[in-house]
Amino acid sequence: MAERVSVTFTLNGERRTFTVAAGRRLLDLLRDDAGLSGTKEGCGAGECGACTVLLDGRPVTSCLVLAASVEGRSVVTVEGLGGASGALHPFQRALVEKGGVQCGFCTPGVAVTGAAILAQGISEPGERARLLSGNLCRCTGYSKIFEALEAAREGSNG
Amino acid sequence: MADPPARPVKGRRSKVEGGSARAADRGLHATPPGPLGGSHARPDASAKVAGLTRYVGDLALPGMLHAALATSRVASARIRSLDTRAALAVPDVVAVLTAADVPGQNSIGAVFGDQPLLVTDRVRMVGDRLALVAARTPEAAWIAARAVRADLEAIPGVHDPVAALDEGSPTVHDGGNLFRTLRVVKGKIDSRRSKATVIVEAEYHVGGQDHAYLEPQGCLAIPEGRDRLTIVASCQCPFYIQHAVAKVLGLPLAAVRVEQAPTGGGFGGKEDYPSEPAACAALLAWHTGRPVRLLFHRELDLQVTTKRHAMVVRHRWGADAKGKLQFAEVETFMDAGAYAGLSTVVAERANVSCIGPYAVPAVDVKTHVVYTNNLFGGAYRGFGAPQVTWAAEATIDKLARELGLDPLEMRRRNALDGMARTLCTGQKLVGPVLAREVLESATRMADWDAFRASRPQGSDRLRYGMGISLVLYGCNLHWGGQQLDRSSAVVILQPDGSVIVRVGLTDMGQGNLTAAQTIAAQALGVAPAAVQVWQPDTTTVGDSGPTVASRGSQMSGMAILDAVARLRTRLDPVAAELLGCAAEEVELGGGFATVRGQADRRVTVATVAAEMASRRLECIATGWYRTTPREFDSETGQGDPYEFYAMACHVARVAVDPELGLVTVEEVSAAHDVGRTIHRQALEGQIQGGIVQAMGWGVTEALHLRDGVLVNPNFTDYIIPTAADAPNINIAVLESDGPGGPYGAKGIGEPAFIPTAAAIRNAVCDALGLEIDTLPLTPPTVVAALGDRHPLAWVLEKSR
Repeated sequence: MAERVSVTFTLNGERRTFTVAAGRRLLDLLRDDAGLSGTKEGCGAGECGACTVLLDGRPVTSCLVLAASVEGRSVVTVEGLGGASGALHPFQRALVEKGGVQCGFCTPGVAVTGAAILAQGISEPGERARLLSGNLCRCTGYSKIFEALEAAREGSNG
Repeated sequence: MADPPARPVKGRRSKVEGGSARAADRGLHATPPGPLGGSHARPDASAKVAGLTRYVGDLALPGMLHAALATSRVASARIRSLDTRAALAVPDVVAVLTAADVPGQNSIGAVFGDQPLLVTDRVRMVGDRLALVAARTPEAAWIAARAVRADLEAIPGVHDPVAALDEGSPTVHDGGNLFRTLRVVKGKIDSRRSKATVIVEAEYHVGGQDHAYLEPQGCLAIPEGRDRLTIVASCQCPFYIQHAVAKVLGLPLAAVRVEQAPTGGGFGGKEDYPSEPAACAALLAWHTGRPVRLLFHRELDLQVTTKRHAMVVRHRWGADAKGKLQFAEVETFMDAGAYAGLSTVVAERANVSCIGPYAVPAVDVKTHVVYTNNLFGGAYRGFGAPQVTWAAEATIDKLARELGLDPLEMRRRNALDGMARTLCTGQKLVGPVLAREVLESATRMADWDAFRASRPQGSDRLRYGMGISLVLYGCNLHWGGQQLDRSSAVVILQPDGSVIVRVGLTDMGQGNLTAAQTIAAQALGVAPAAVQVWQPDTTTVGDSGPTVASRGSQMSGMAILDAVARLRTRLDPVAAELLGCAAEEVELGGGFATVRGQADRRVTVATVAAEMASRRLECIATGWYRTTPREFDSETGQGDPYEFYAMACHVARVAVDPELGLVTVEEVSAAHDVGRTIHRQALEGQIQGGIVQAMGWGVTEALHLRDGVLVNPNFTDYIIPTAADAPNINIAVLESDGPGGPYGAKGIGEPAFIPTAAAIRNAVCDALGLEIDTLPLTPPTVVAALGDRHPLAWVLEKSR
């Protein structure tokens, strides 16, 4: 039996402890152990971004993060973007309003990355596109995702 | 929802032309106010952004087993023996099955019986299934699958669809590699050839494409007792899966229930292929008596699933001195791969689409479907049309260059219109023919004339170009698929005025739930939010054929309108009684039943629904629709292959770095003849998404096959467009009266894809002043085409 380790971290604002195999991916902990299936696996190789979560506020591909390595840190998934109230984050609402959602499989990762871009106050279009380029979307052509990002920025400023 | 204005979208550097006035205001298919043409929030969007949508990988049941596939890693071999003992010995493995365990027919081909579910004696392509595994954990299942030992004797394979027709080529199946040849024969080539002053001959090598939907293939099979089962699948075509599983398990169709899970992208890749994983999971569930889930990992998905067909397209086209096309000869070799799959069906569309929307007096088309030992071709957005369009639009540009004509002018002189309405199949177009309108609209948005008059030179080394592609799209299924071209809907009016809708066509992201909701709400005069469209399930609606060929909204919509009409035979008399008018005077709109012409005499639809319920009236209605039967001669390709058509034109502007061979698509201007807009935002989403996906195919998405093995099965080496690659997109939506689906709507999913890559190719060739006849336009391809004109060619010259 593989060695098991205990890991305690803040998950969507709540302090949680899990006992996992040492080699377990953060993605599997989130989906299978914590029951947060909003985070998706699209490639398992850090290429598509569907499994993006915030680790101490920075977007990371959770398929490439060992669960044991998040000890003491903060993880926010798509389910926790809107905070404890369970409301949607402004960018999530903007994605709905602007039609930035089609099949929805990339959407959780896009929502997480977009929220991080907004939190960092990045408004230069080229830089935003570069930051979003880690989240592949095969449906939308990205146009309406950019529209949603702009709408959410305007909304939060106004 | 109150009449949302279809206003232009201020996109990321995007502009939108046309369609900003409501169709109803322009007298088109006059409809009462309602959600039609607006952009209410998609019903599936809020759950998706919150991560609450349950895809098949998010579903688990007590006792559920995990499936894995043991597949061939070589493309051509004889199977001497198969040893599953080591696989069975892996801890947590519950079952390892081979062909001998199939209770029904070991056959999975969508149209023909040439493909086994599990191979027995012969491997014909990479991914052929040797054995299936079910285990308590996915890890154990995949470890066991790798432990299946096959003693294989390599057989020479064939990997080129042209060479496969050579005498002495290895044969993939008995009967030779030429599976079918389709034809279009019209007019007299010889007499027209003498009228041609310029003739272009070319051979185009058009590559395939992987669908790269973000959600890999997946399904869950659930035994329901010992005599029937449920399949929940990521798919476009639950009825295909129903038939496939019933055949493999030897069950009646009624014993196989298929529910479409929310599906993370399809693009054709979840048309035919999902029947295979579904049959695998079903077989394992049947044997173990337990739920079995099969999820593909990305590498497997890229390595073994169907692809867009690679094609070699040969042209000899001629035009007279005025640029009028005189004849077109086309010979296409489609690489079907190792099994027929849907290749003959794809060939039907390719065959009649290869001339484009041009009036050509004499046409001779041969479309060959050829077996090779490559990964097999299947459905992919555009269904054979993008490849032949790429060739046709390249040839049109070459003819224009030979004649010294502007490519726009060349198309103006040959495009079909109200006078020239006859297609290469002899079919006469009915209603408005908008080829010229989309051509003018797209080139106007792109500032075609201004660009050509003062092409940006730039101080940098970049070269700029602009290219056009004009497309004729046959809506719905080809004549050959007519028996499948029908659809079913169920509408249930609840006592509180809310509405349940079931349709047989699926949403894989393109927005069919939204379209069905919009159409039902419009027809019943209620707010979209009052209408709940539930996931398709083969036990709740009739077989509606596949969700393909841009037919989802059309076919769902027509069946919904039929169901609503039937429901109204019971609803209208009750409303009339409440309103004190005749049933014929009842109108529905804005949440109310009103007396025609007297908007103040009204009662809510919810009140009528409650009254119907209290009277125990039948509040459920079914709807049915089938397309008009057509005549077509498959020997000559003459007749009416499609019921009606849509036109589309894309203009691409590119910047090319000749040193690196790097193509950047800066802008695409797209004009579409859509008939009628159902949901504006979803329509734009289809166009934007189609353009970017087609840009990937045209520029970066090279499938590198070595002896039939895909050597780049990951998103690092198989490069699909990212947010940083997305071009500026301009959209013009042209609405018109004419043959169409619900309220006159025509499909958009495929017309949004088909023109783009050809427009990019023409723009790149315009920028560099040369011809490139190979797709995709990757840096090596562009650099090779430049040859001695490459900026660093002198270095090579010196070193020689």
